[in-house]
Amino acid sequence: MTEALGLYVPGESRVHQLHPLTKLTFVGFILLGGLALPGIWTTYALLFLVVAPLAWLGRVLRELVAATWRVALPFAISVFLIQGFLWPNGTPFLGSGVISLKREGLVFAVTSTGRILTVVSSFLWFAFTTRPDALMAALAQRGVPASLTYILLATLQIVPRFRARAAAIIDAQRARGLETGGSLLRRAQGVLPLVVPLILSSLIDVEERALAIEARAFNHPGLKTSLIEIEQAAWEPAARWAAILGAIGFLLLRLWFSLNR
Amino acid sequence: MQTPRKDFTTVTLVLIPVAIAINIAVGQLIYTLKIPLYLDSIGTVLVGVLAGPWAGALTGLLSNLIWGLSGLNPTYAPFAAAAAAIGLLAGLFAESGWLRAWWKVVLAGLITGLVAAVISAPIAAYVFGGVTGAGTDVVVAIFRSFGFGVLPSSFAQGVSSDPLDKAVSFFIVWMIVRALPMRFLARFPRAGSVK
Repeated sequence: MTEALGLYVPGESRVHQLHPLTKLTFVGFILLGGLALPGIWTTYALLFLVVAPLAWLGRVLRELVAATWRVALPFAISVFLIQGFLWPNGTPFLGSGVISLKREGLVFAVTSTGRILTVVSSFLWFAFTTRPDALMAALAQRGVPASLTYILLATLQIVPRFRARAAAIIDAQRARGLETGGSLLRRAQGVLPLVVPLILSSLIDVEERALAIEARAFNHPGLKTSLIEIEQAAWEPAARWAAILGAIGFLLLRLWFSLNR
Repeated sequence: MQTPRKDFTTVTLVLIPVAIAINIAVGQLIYTLKIPLYLDSIGTVLVGVLAGPWAGALTGLLSNLIWGLSGLNPTYAPFAAAAAAIGLLAGLFAESGWLRAWWKVVLAGLITGLVAAVISAPIAAYVFGGVTGAGTDVVVAIFRSFGFGVLPSSFAQGVSSDPLDKAVSFFIVWMIVRALPMRFLARFPRAGSVK
């Protein structure tokens, strides 16, 4: 794969060498911990004690912090402004009257921001350190149907090509006098001349692709070998089970807290 | 509903990645045009219409998971269930013959958008504090200042954007499918439900 979709940062770190499914279970562990555990600061503890060390081990800490910041910032600003200031009947914390930061809203905003950061950073950590084709090969080795792994891999290869095609269509229509700037109405009028050619031209490929993969024994029921060998360290299956059990533990803890409240 | 297995022909399997790429490419195109719509489920609706509700649901689900795991837009992944529902409903509406008249197409889109808003609201409220980080958060702010809860405000935000977005998406898919030659359409398992 020369050009593929994704943020993969090539590297030789220990995190890069982990089996993709091990990393996937770690993401599940972080997600369930961040979303299920009660408390305002638990998500932040998870970020500093689990996500950050994992990113540091993978030599992607700086990239991860920058990308997480970029994605999560609009959410954080929104949640602090809206829930922090507009919490109905909240206790004023800073300022007074209508324009005041409410204590309940602030707690909610801090909790939500922690959850947003957990979701965003765990997915990005996975994307930065995992080759998409390695993930697919690992899934295929585990008996995931070839049709499903084909869908995932083909998507990652098609998207960059589509983006290039979208850019070409924008240029072509502009050359013919289509306005892509100006008032909202102007821009809305541009939607159809841009979207319809993009979709129609991409659908033309479908038939050809179907013939091509059928000619390459896509529907053959026998065993297929993979070009990429996915290796794993001896301790990794145990680590996966630990992550899965830990995630189940988070859920049970959550249940226990909800029942005892 | 017919058996799902019949819908997953080779042509369907090839259509799904193309559809996901359409979702991503058109979504980004609309974003650069700065139009207050998403139009990031056109491919999902297309698969639902051409290959049935199950293939549509799978397209929606995988679309959002790929969006998340590729790191392209990690905030989409939690909404995978809503995306799956969009594909499922598109398939069911097409199956019941709603894609033959333009006003039924728009109505089907509006209903689908409403369902998507119902599924998305609790996810947005729990994971994202009820906000989207985009312009439609004005709706959340207005509802919050009137004393509504986090969940109802988040739902109001969804209702303000999703039904219109899905109606436009359904309409575009309807136009495209009508423009496709019958020779091409006949390759898909559910071609009969459109023409």
